[in-house]
Amino acid sequence: MKWTTSQMDMYLNSKEYVDTAIIPLIPLDWKEDPKGKVSMGEFSSILVEEVERQFKGRVFQLAPFTYLSTEEENSRLERLVSWDKHFYDNGFTHIVYITSDGVWKRVEKDLPDMLIWIPSLSLESMDDTYAKEIISQQMKQILPLITAKWQEEPKERQ
Amino acid sequence: MSEKEHKVSRRQFLTYTLMGVGGFMVAGAISPMVRFALDPALQAGGETEFVSVATVDDLTDEPQRFDFQLEIEDAWYTSEQSRTAWIYKDGNDIVALSPVCTHLGCTVNWEGSEDHPNQFYCPCHFGRFEKSGQNVAQTPPTRPLDLYEIEVRDGVVYLGSIIQRRSV
Repeated sequence: MKWTTSQMDMYLNSKEYVDTAIIPLIPLDWKEDPKGKVSMGEFSSILVEEVERQFKGRVFQLAPFTYLSTEEENSRLERLVSWDKHFYDNGFTHIVYITSDGVWKRVEKDLPDMLIWIPSLSLESMDDTYAKEIISQQMKQILPLITAKWQEEPKERQ
Repeated sequence: MSEKEHKVSRRQFLTYTLMGVGGFMVAGAISPMVRFALDPALQAGGETEFVSVATVDDLTDEPQRFDFQLEIEDAWYTSEQSRTAWIYKDGNDIVALSPVCTHLGCTVNWEGSEDHPNQFYCPCHFGRFEKSGQNVAQTPPTRPLDLYEIEVRDGVVYLGSIIQRRSV
């Protein structure tokens, strides 16, 4: 389900079936390599959209978690943990963070739930069918990660 | 008939004439309004666009997955969206099923679970459907998978709008 009022109604009617929140992690930087950051954001948004399409009935695609690349690692982590806590406490037992930004890989062990990090590819120079092919290949990797997660017990929070 | 009975007074004549002319004027003013009001209603859903998706030679008795693009006009913008259909041959007929689970809208896969061969499987809440699209009892979906409208021209399969079914 998406971050819209109409889908919110759908969520409220079938809450008990929706136990997974997807949070896109999107970096911002207008000084160092702005285009690279935009590309990361674009790529992870495409993946998140696609995950939502496949698992519409069980996942909720939250508004993106955005941060300046210059933000202190600890403060960024702290903010994400508080997002996680808020949504965990309010009905989501599984939370998946999807990003193309490698900085999260470094702090993966400190994250309360599952990180999916896919390095971004520049889709702008590819023709349409090839780009779609790439995305569907990536999906074949990502979707099983999430279905496998559903087989496991939800991660305990401190 | 005597002439007397047909007599129309000046006043009556004027009244009739004015009513007649007035009536035409009002009708002339109102009819475009009525047309403007009704036009969108008459147009909406009038025609569906068919999109070429596969050739008949591609099809087998096993449902296969075909992806295609559709232009969707949203309230705010027009966009190209991907759609998927599971298509197979059923004797001389061709069946094209929508992959959208009728429970909450996840995407189902043919033989998506090893435990349930010959069925469509929804990974979200384990809904299942027979090959015909019939939902399996005791799983969350309450109606069969939707069908696509099909047209075959010159060996090419075109898909149109979605048809909902209460039962197969």
